[in-house]
Amino acid sequence: MKGIRWFKILSVLMALCACFVSPAFAEDVIKIGAYLPMTGAVAAYGQMEWNGLQIAHEMRPKALGKEIKLVLVDTKSDKIEAANAVSRLIEKEKVVAIIGEAISGNTMAGNPISEAAKIPSVSPTATNPLVTQGKKYAFRACFIDPFQGQVAARFARDHLKAKKAAVIIDIAQDYCVGLANFFVKEFVKLGGQVVSTTYIQTGDQDFTAQLSAVQAANPDIIYAPNYYTEDALMAKQARDLGINVPILTGDGAQADELIKIGGKAVENMYFTAHFHKKAATTELAKEYIKKFEAKYKKEADAFGALAADAYFLLVDAIERAGSTDGTKIRDALASTKNFQGVSGVITMGENGNPIKSVVINKVEDGKFVYVTTVNP
Amino acid sequence: MTKTRRNLILNCASLVVLFGILWLFQEYGTEYQIRILNNIAVFITLAVSYNLVNGICGQLHLGPNAFITIGAYTSALLTMSPTEKQMSFIIKPLIWPLSVIQVPFWISLIMAGTVATVFAFFISFPVFRVRGDYLAIVTLGFGEVVRVLCNALQSVTNGPLGLKGLKPYTNLWWSWSIAIFTIIVIQRLINSSWGRAMKAIRENEIAAQAMGVDPFKHLMMAFLISAFFSGVAGGLLAHLITTISPTLFTFFLTFNLLIIIVVGGLGSTTGAVIGATLFAWGGEALRVVESPMDIGPIHIPGIPGMRMVLFSVILMVVIIFARRGITGRNEFSWDWLLGKLSFGSR
Repeated sequence: MKGIRWFKILSVLMALCACFVSPAFAEDVIKIGAYLPMTGAVAAYGQMEWNGLQIAHEMRPKALGKEIKLVLVDTKSDKIEAANAVSRLIEKEKVVAIIGEAISGNTMAGNPISEAAKIPSVSPTATNPLVTQGKKYAFRACFIDPFQGQVAARFARDHLKAKKAAVIIDIAQDYCVGLANFFVKEFVKLGGQVVSTTYIQTGDQDFTAQLSAVQAANPDIIYAPNYYTEDALMAKQARDLGINVPILTGDGAQADELIKIGGKAVENMYFTAHFHKKAATTELAKEYIKKFEAKYKKEADAFGALAADAYFLLVDAIERAGSTDGTKIRDALASTKNFQGVSGVITMGENGNPIKSVVINKVEDGKFVYVTTVNP
Repeated sequence: MTKTRRNLILNCASLVVLFGILWLFQEYGTEYQIRILNNIAVFITLAVSYNLVNGICGQLHLGPNAFITIGAYTSALLTMSPTEKQMSFIIKPLIWPLSVIQVPFWISLIMAGTVATVFAFFISFPVFRVRGDYLAIVTLGFGEVVRVLCNALQSVTNGPLGLKGLKPYTNLWWSWSIAIFTIIVIQRLINSSWGRAMKAIRENEIAAQAMGVDPFKHLMMAFLISAFFSGVAGGLLAHLITTISPTLFTFFLTFNLLIIIVVGGLGSTTGAVIGATLFAWGGEALRVVESPMDIGPIHIPGIPGMRMVLFSVILMVVIIFARRGITGRNEFSWDWLLGKLSFGSR
């Protein structure tokens, strides 16, 4: 009997708790949902983007005279969860627009749901061209992989005067495969020649076989649009083998770990990127960088900057639409012109892909240094 | 009234009730609720078929993600429209017969199961040459091989770019009918002489062999049937989330299924169903703990990842207090339920 009494007391207590526990709630707000990988394999991206979003929200907390509320939902870096998250944002939280996801695969799982519900979504960093293809309500704040690959090819031909390129591709990443393929197409079109194509996989430690093939082909440049770990290890081994041609890579290299792992070997490594502090000229960017560095005591990163841009683009679109109706916001987003964003000037092009300039950085004295900007 | 007859009537009645509930959700439920119900059904199919090899046969098989992958890609490639395929395969075009084929959803599901079974047939020869940890390693390796192949075979799978734009064919009727069909087939199998032979192999393979049970034949049978339903569930999953890529089918998927059947009760179909339901529904229900809350005057900011912490605690509690999982090796039966309600006819 004692057990039963305890059970009763416990259930009464729990019922009482349930009465008091209620989600923080405010009337008459504009809700913008964010579904990001806050935990799981790519949690680092989600967290960087959430940091950026919060700064952006502090800078522009209102639209149409109403308070904006950001609702964060975690996706565990997983497709099934990403789809659930978007469904939840739309139906339970009744958001008017959505920001996310950080990676392309998960965005493709979330997109069809917001598309069906006619809720506009802006992904900060989903660069796979398929993400917005054929979708009316899907947008992004970053440029797409083909574009970055093309710009890299142009930079290699025009600035580095390279004729022969060796390409090393991480085939486990859609991002690397996309960049490399479009680099090759553009490079050949511009009169260059690809003398060697070799493949690696995320997590590889030894690149001797691939680099030997590169060495035999004697290129003027190595294009290795892979992530920072592979880039750093590969650069080290390349220098050890006596390959001293410049290495060009993509924005996946932009992490402090690149320099930590690569040390001297990554000096003079060039990479195409979305953002560099020095290249940020707009008022919004200056304010963002100041606030970001004051709050987090570290340099503003590209992920955060793009997430902030996703937010600013949406707020701008809501203001111009003068309404929180999904279709109206969508139309306003699609007609975005010369928006002075954090990561540069953004004009929304075809298929919800922005047209914006690419920043080229390089590693110098253990730091990322701004080299030039390539305009579309 | 005989017991069999009573059970049959009760089974049919509960099916009618279940589909009635599903119909209510279909009519009045939100998209979100329907999505979770679909997830539950897909995970039930996966867990029940996985449990056949792990729970009933007692072989630590760690490669169901391979069969789910094969099923998902097979059915996705079969239902995508030729124009969608042409648009998606931007790096290498899709190889010929696949690029023009488009079949109805149900055929693609059958094909998904069949292709997964064919792969399972070939892999079963090396797999069942070994037992225990070694079997786990071989199947784990197979799971990884399939995933790597999906990355590498760009002209078939579109590599790491993945496939998108699948039609959302998976609805409550499809997912739940297949879940129930899987439960019935696997339950019938377990209660047959083959099923008893499988259990005998689990308890003591040498003794079973001495009694005239052929382990290879029975294990392969379980493996193939399990692979078939995993493949079908893979097809359902693909058409539920409408996009697939190799990252969806990592070892974590297997790991989740393993958690489901161990928590539910290894060797019990009922346990697998309960485990799958708790997993698919619980994950969403626990999102509450991640949102910002006001308890009286205290404001708690949302902490992403809290539900994983809570989930782990629940798992530990279950394993500490119910070492064999929620149901152990017991199955649900009407006798048990009526006995509990204490008006069982005798």
